[in-house]
Amino acid sequence: MSTETNSESTTGTASDQRNARTISLGVGDGATGSRTIGPDVFRILSLGCVLLLIASFVHVLHEVTQAVGGTPSLFALVGGMLLAGTLLARLIRPRTALLAALTVAGLGFAYYLESSGVGVGIVLSQTGALAADIATLATGHPLIRTVEAGLWTLGFAPAPVFLSWYLALRGRYALSVLPGGFALAFLVLTGDADLTVTLLGTLAGLGAVGFGELERRGGSISQADLLAALFALIIVLSLSVSFVPGGDTGPASIGATDAGTLEGTIDSAGERSGFTGQVDLSPEVRFTVESEQPSYWRTGVYDRFTGDEWVRTGQEQPLDGPINEPSGDYETMQQLVTAETEIGVMPVAPQPLTVTDGAAQYAELSAHGQVHPSTTLIEGDSYVVESAVVDPGQDELKRAGTEYPDQIEERYLQQPEDTSDEFAEYTANVTADAETPYEKAAAIETHLRSSKSYSLDVSQPSGNVAEEFLFEMDEGYCIYFATTMTQMLRAEEVPTRYVTGYTSGQQVDDDTHVVRGLDAHAWVEVYFPDHGWVAFEPTPSGERDDVHADQLEDARADDVENVDIEESEDVPVREDDDDEDEQNDRDPTGPDEGEQDDPETNETDPDQGPDTDPDSDTENESNETTDGTSLPDADGDGSSEGDDSDGFSLPVTVSRELLALTTVVLVGLAAGIHRTDGRTRLQRLVGLLWQRPTDDPDDDAARAYRRLERLLGRTHRPRRPGESARSYVTALRTAATDDTGDSLESATDVDPTDPRIEAVLESYEQAVYGGGVNRREATSAVEAVDELVREQVPLVGGAMSGAGQHKASTERGSDDENDGSDESTTAE
Amino acid sequence: MTDADPPTDTVLETTPIDVDEQTEAIDPLPLTRVESIGTDIEANVARVIVGHESVIEHVITALLGRGHVLLDDVPGVGKTMLARSIATSVDCTFRRIQFTPDLLPTDVTGVNVFNQQTREFEFQPGPIFGNIVLGDEINRAPPKTQSALLEAMEEEQVTADGETRSLPAPFTVIATQNAIEPNRTYDLPFAELDRFMKKLHLGYPDPEDEAELLGRTVGTHPIDELESVTDRETLVRARETVSRVEVAEPVRAYVTRLAGYTRENAHIGASPRGAIALLRAAQARAVINGRDYVTPDDVQAEAAVVLSHRVKTNDRTRDGQAIVADALEQVPVDG
Repeated sequence: MSTETNSESTTGTASDQRNARTISLGVGDGATGSRTIGPDVFRILSLGCVLLLIASFVHVLHEVTQAVGGTPSLFALVGGMLLAGTLLARLIRPRTALLAALTVAGLGFAYYLESSGVGVGIVLSQTGALAADIATLATGHPLIRTVEAGLWTLGFAPAPVFLSWYLALRGRYALSVLPGGFALAFLVLTGDADLTVTLLGTLAGLGAVGFGELERRGGSISQADLLAALFALIIVLSLSVSFVPGGDTGPASIGATDAGTLEGTIDSAGERSGFTGQVDLSPEVRFTVESEQPSYWRTGVYDRFTGDEWVRTGQEQPLDGPINEPSGDYETMQQLVTAETEIGVMPVAPQPLTVTDGAAQYAELSAHGQVHPSTTLIEGDSYVVESAVVDPGQDELKRAGTEYPDQIEERYLQQPEDTSDEFAEYTANVTADAETPYEKAAAIETHLRSSKSYSLDVSQPSGNVAEEFLFEMDEGYCIYFATTMTQMLRAEEVPTRYVTGYTSGQQVDDDTHVVRGLDAHAWVEVYFPDHGWVAFEPTPSGERDDVHADQLEDARADDVENVDIEESEDVPVREDDDDEDEQNDRDPTGPDEGEQDDPETNETDPDQGPDTDPDSDTENESNETTDGTSLPDADGDGSSEGDDSDGFSLPVTVSRELLALTTVVLVGLAAGIHRTDGRTRLQRLVGLLWQRPTDDPDDDAARAYRRLERLLGRTHRPRRPGESARSYVTALRTAATDDTGDSLESATDVDPTDPRIEAVLESYEQAVYGGGVNRREATSAVEAVDELVREQVPLVGGAMSGAGQHKASTERGSDDENDGSDESTTAE
Repeated sequence: MTDADPPTDTVLETTPIDVDEQTEAIDPLPLTRVESIGTDIEANVARVIVGHESVIEHVITALLGRGHVLLDDVPGVGKTMLARSIATSVDCTFRRIQFTPDLLPTDVTGVNVFNQQTREFEFQPGPIFGNIVLGDEINRAPPKTQSALLEAMEEEQVTADGETRSLPAPFTVIATQNAIEPNRTYDLPFAELDRFMKKLHLGYPDPEDEAELLGRTVGTHPIDELESVTDRETLVRARETVSRVEVAEPVRAYVTRLAGYTRENAHIGASPRGAIALLRAAQARAVINGRDYVTPDDVQAEAAVVLSHRVKTNDRTRDGQAIVADALEQVPVDG
């Protein structure tokens, strides 16, 4: 903002500036007029900042309404409040305005309570519980998880918008930042406001106050350097200290350390499931399940889709007693799940009925019937789950009808507001021949499996993931398939939810399943009246198995740690009877798990078969031929990275943040330096450390002495104007020899009696007053000063040749030394 | 100068006495020789004068820098002795004029005397015709007599009865004046004062120096045994060396700034002649210090004695010395 007006003459005191301003106003548009800025500009800037602050928290609210609906209402409300603020700014007094705002806020809150079916009476009857709820929100319960998030938003927005704008228009900028800042702070506490928005809002608040002050007291734009320095400070602080209790309050999720893995994406935070582009698969064993029959092991159920992530609404409750059983017929199955490493989830076969034994004490139940651990499970933790396997026949499902309970419809039909009409039209085309929800689901499932191919190597789309995948992408992996299917079914008014977990894993003996990180998966559950939730698999299983099996083989070949537990060591990865896999055939322990990957056993797989694509063939062959020797790099790609994905994927993101951060730091530093008039100091320091060689040896020698003089000036007194070069040095020498009694001088002080100083002095005199010096003399003078500088400033001694990198550190060093010199001069 | 030019030519033609023409190239001495001459004279003088090293040095630099010296102090501190010992150290013509209230200008410059035998007027040179002239108690003579010195000191020539005669080279006036008895003395005209390169004060010797002094003067006075350490020709050549010492632009600018400061801060500041004198003195000092170029330090060492007596203030509490001291303190050495 203020970079153009960075002229040196504007570094005067505030009073100077005020004088300059009044003069320029009096004279009119003089030359000084361009440098000073009238109060009008500051007023516009402050109002702009207030608007930005309002926009920041409205933006957060808008993100919520985008997912759950109500954006037009929100915007209408905000616009109305801005208008009201503008109209009333001159009409009502602040006290009245405050009262009005509180009334509006109260009404909004009451509306929310009434609409969510709780009733306003709860304020009186259960104040404690209400306070606890608010506290829950403020300690990191994201707004988006609130069941009636849209209503809440509409109730929340008006008061701070109105109050902020009203006060800003009255010129009370500091006060106007309060309501806006409070609103933003609350959203920060709930974890909804992300870093960028928070920063922007904070900076806007600061800018509003700062520019408001400048407007009131009058000042030039160059005085905004303080603001710039504060901005930078805030940015740096907020980026380096993350005390905000974001969504991640639950136990650490699986692979939390593996940011680039599929698991890390699926369970990025306790109650969210995000998306990412290219992912790695970790071949490490996560847990084992002893179960008579294989199943998908579910770890998360999500109902709300924001366009770029899945959110689980509602709060977890401690698990006490059995979970609601499905309404229809079901068989029960028992599993013993044992964690083989630290995991932050509780895999269960859907739909769990009871969780008992061992780690069951940590179990919490989500509003969707999924159990979650309240703390991270460690290796060896185990629990027993009894699950209801809902497996009705096709005919039953076709007859299920569409009599959905209200609660189910409310929750599981949500679509992001910005879902386009094309998406619905496309879905309608796909399901044109389908009549029942089951047929629709099957049609969509088939369509996705046949039209998209499986790949872990995709770039993350921006915008609505479901639409992007459907229209723009040719390949993807489970989360894309599952998300798109969920949204398509919802477009067809079929309650659907997005579930995450693991596939059944590797069966190592009759009833033991070893589940690895690469088994992480996401699929879909569709609700059928009288039956409950039934799983669907939109991901092409054959392709997926190939990719995942390749990874595991590679990992085994590379001897990656934790790939196997004892029982699984000798079990080959692939059970399908490819001709190439002769060694697999020889293995007698391999049971048949032909259908394990598809929970929907009565669904025919259109394009699943033993036909493997050419890629996997060649890889298998190379596996055979190079058995025992190290594989070429190209083969070991995905697997070996599972281990060190930190070192692999992090630098990419960090370096970008680091770049931004560095820029901000530099800008702030520059502003701070400008503020403290440190630019000249810095220039002098740089000049002290280094001199640009010239063609003229006389010039070099003269510069060398000037550096020496500055060096002496730091530890001793600076040269007085009336002092000649020699008389200055002589005076220092006299003082130094007088002082020798109490040799308190620090080791870094330059000794004025140093013979090198005399040499530099002589060449200076010769160069300036005498017949000049030759190149050799000049060079030796420069080198002598270099030496002296290095001795005195050891901090930069080694890095004299470095560029801007060491400026900051040297400046710190110079400050220290300046302090020291101050003391020494006062001592004198 | 405008009106002086044509007459000067005619005058020069009628000049009866002509010592070495300055136009002839003088072979300068090597720098080190001059330096050693300086130290030799200094050591020689120090045999007579106890202490006062800086004053002795100033006199020597004035001698080498073609300047005249005014020694100003109370009687009895060795002014005359200093002048005599300097003169003795250089083997050249030494003349002494004792200024009294009834001294006439012709008593200084000389007169035309009618020669009975040749029946012509002959010029009888006055005591001013010498290489080193000691003007003792110069402020006891009335201004008329003092003014006789003006031409001699500035132009190194004497005009008597319409005839102008050059003075021998080198020509240096070492004058003394009494700081006390203001009723019986005449203030030197400012124009004459300006012609002295330096005005020096000896001051009383330190107690140790005085004791030493007393010890030396018991018996034969050392001045009587003093011998010369150099001669006239050497001095001329040494002066040539000094005049060729380089004065770089920054130094010239510095001198200009110093002079300018005195003009701005006093009633009458240092004249351009003063600035020239300062540079010459600085040149001599540079040589004494073994350099063939002048540094600001040389200027600073000379400024106080060269400029102070040229600065006149209306403020009784601040004399020229204070102004020059301020100038040295405040005028920046480098641009």
